[in-house]
Amino acid sequence: MNLTSLFDIGKSALSAAQRRTMVTGHNIANVNTPGYSRQEAILQENRPLNDQPGQVGSGVQVAEIRQQINQVVEDSLRRSSSALGTFDAAWSWLLRVQDSVGTSGEQGLGATINEFFRAWQDVSTNPADLTARTVLLSRANTLALHFNRTATDLDRQRQGLDAEIDQAITDINGLAAKIAGLNQEISLAESRGQQANDLRDQRRQLLGALSEQIGISTTEDSTGQVTVFAGKGHLLVDRERAYQLAGVADAGNSGLLDVHYIGSGGATVDLTSSIGEGRLKGLLDVRDQHIPAAQGSLDTLAAAMVTRINQQHRAGFGLDGSTGQDFFSAAGVTARTMAVALTDGRAAAASGTAAGVPGNNANAIALAGLQSQTLATLGGQTFNQYFNSTVTTIGTAAESAQRNLDAQEIVHEHLEARRAEISGVSIDEELVQMIQSQRAFQAASRVILVADEMLQTLLTLKR
Amino acid sequence: MRVADSQVFNTLFGNMQRTRSRILVAQEQISSQKRLLKPSDDPSSFGQVLAGRTELSRNEQWSRNIQFGRQRLELADGTLTQVTTLLIRVKELTVQAASGTTTAEQRATVAQEVRQLHRHLMQLANTELNGQRIFSGTKTDVAPYVLTAGDTVIYQGNGERHVVEVGEGQTIDDTMPGNQVFSGPTANLFDSLRDLLASLEGNNQAGIEAGIGSLDQAMAQINNAQGQVGALVNRMDVAGEWIARATELVTRTISDHEDADLAKAISDLSRHELALEATNATLSRMFTTSLLNFLR
Repeated sequence: MNLTSLFDIGKSALSAAQRRTMVTGHNIANVNTPGYSRQEAILQENRPLNDQPGQVGSGVQVAEIRQQINQVVEDSLRRSSSALGTFDAAWSWLLRVQDSVGTSGEQGLGATINEFFRAWQDVSTNPADLTARTVLLSRANTLALHFNRTATDLDRQRQGLDAEIDQAITDINGLAAKIAGLNQEISLAESRGQQANDLRDQRRQLLGALSEQIGISTTEDSTGQVTVFAGKGHLLVDRERAYQLAGVADAGNSGLLDVHYIGSGGATVDLTSSIGEGRLKGLLDVRDQHIPAAQGSLDTLAAAMVTRINQQHRAGFGLDGSTGQDFFSAAGVTARTMAVALTDGRAAAASGTAAGVPGNNANAIALAGLQSQTLATLGGQTFNQYFNSTVTTIGTAAESAQRNLDAQEIVHEHLEARRAEISGVSIDEELVQMIQSQRAFQAASRVILVADEMLQTLLTLKR
Repeated sequence: MRVADSQVFNTLFGNMQRTRSRILVAQEQISSQKRLLKPSDDPSSFGQVLAGRTELSRNEQWSRNIQFGRQRLELADGTLTQVTTLLIRVKELTVQAASGTTTAEQRATVAQEVRQLHRHLMQLANTELNGQRIFSGTKTDVAPYVLTAGDTVIYQGNGERHVVEVGEGQTIDDTMPGNQVFSGPTANLFDSLRDLLASLEGNNQAGIEAGIGSLDQAMAQINNAQGQVGALVNRMDVAGEWIARATELVTRTISDHEDADLAKAISDLSRHELALEATNATLSRMFTTSLLNFLR
């Protein structure tokens, strides 16, 4: 037991206080860094020295610089990011889809159907009037064009979604590669007894970004490396190795991309239907479920209109004596191909009898009456009712995506608040720590001064 | 509980964003006066509005059909009034000519005027609206009556009736074929006048007296036809009133579903604006209490 150990105690206290202040400084510096987790210098007594009458302490050391993390909250946040990604992608695209399919105003497809049947009524009240017949053909063309344009719009939206899916795949691959790289750096640093806190923060950020794109589950092994699974247990990151996703054109789905997983040895698996969460899931749902459903409904409606109207039209007689003619082109029984066959208004078959031309309007009234006829092919609904339920279906999907998104945003905010409570930096708290460390530093330097004075006293004894 | 700086910022920021978006919704509602701008705003109400608009469109069209129909019937009614006046004049002349003191020359003069009236009656029966004959059944492109040899007039139209739709599956005739008005079941006006002309020119008193009887029959037939026209107009008016009531009802339903409650939207707006102001004030105050201000 000698005075030098008093110097050592003072020195250890100085360096601990200094180190603690550095951690505080680092925390303050990163108060606004996204994903930063507060670090704390954990102080520990040094090993005591054996002596008479007992052990004497030998000072202090910083045992560890520990991150304040709650893994349960981190996992919840990641799952919440995935849900947010799903709802956000679905909602923003469903808004566009419902814009294409239905508006309540004067320009919607519903209004165009109304106008078409009104034109038939006008022909029925003035069957010999050529103007009414010209208007009829023009309304019919508007109707067909409206169907065509809606179908094209929806196709274009599927293409747009496909491009976003391709981008999401690229992003996922990039993130997986970076996570694998960080895995390597972290295990290397930590095998040397270091805590790779800041690298871990980066990796946590990347995992968050990845979970927004695709639902993942993770496990961390003893060397600090995480294993990432996606799409029902497919390895996305295995230690330092990242696996890739690839977009593969599906000929059975208009050449749109399927999401394939390229496993070890290059074997590929189609993951498209196993992706449960994340932006990718939201995009796939709108591309492969909602839009095709809307397109199918519009095709059914177009087919029903073309078939039923043609059938009635063939029964009538035009001003030019023509009969048995199709009003719409019989080949165009989808929304995309619907087209008006008649080019001359005189051929519009308003009359129910050949002899009744031009004043007979029995067939025009029958045609106008189709607007209120329910059809088995439309599930017992009229044309308008069937269209309305198509719009309502899309609207309901968009509404529920929006509700889910709103709710999830609140959940996410709560989780972030919870994370901030655990891992966030509080300036006030750091300032208190800083004052504490400063005081400790001042006191430790006093200890060294006293030790020095004592040593001086001893040295003067000899004279 | 620890309170981190980011927590304070994020909570305030999140609340501010939510309040802002509520303000935007309220402003949208106030400026558009609509609660429903897209299907997802309220899918079931949106479906009702679409159905209501179809209803409205059909009601508008039925009203329009009634306008067309009434136009034709009113023209027919006016024409038949002129026919009645014409027949009264013929009867006056015939009664004069039937008198035993009337000479053959005087009867020949009367015959000249009756022939004019006979031709005028044909013009009335050939009345057209926008190029379409109203008394030729559905043969609207041909004149219903043409003069052939002598003073004989023949009917070229058919017996079909043109109808307009005035409601779901409801139709009302808007024309009467000439063969039920002029050359009708009980009397043929043109034949009566032709026979009368022959009697006048032939100085045949008995024939002239018989002509008076057939003129009475003719007038009764025209009266009857005009009564039918009146009844059709009346039915159209009733249908029109019914449509107006239905339109009012549907308009109200649509409005209930899609119109914004302005009072509520405005009070929402001021409530949310107040909340935003309070949040802003909190944000600027929050850090005056920081320890930083006490470390000098």
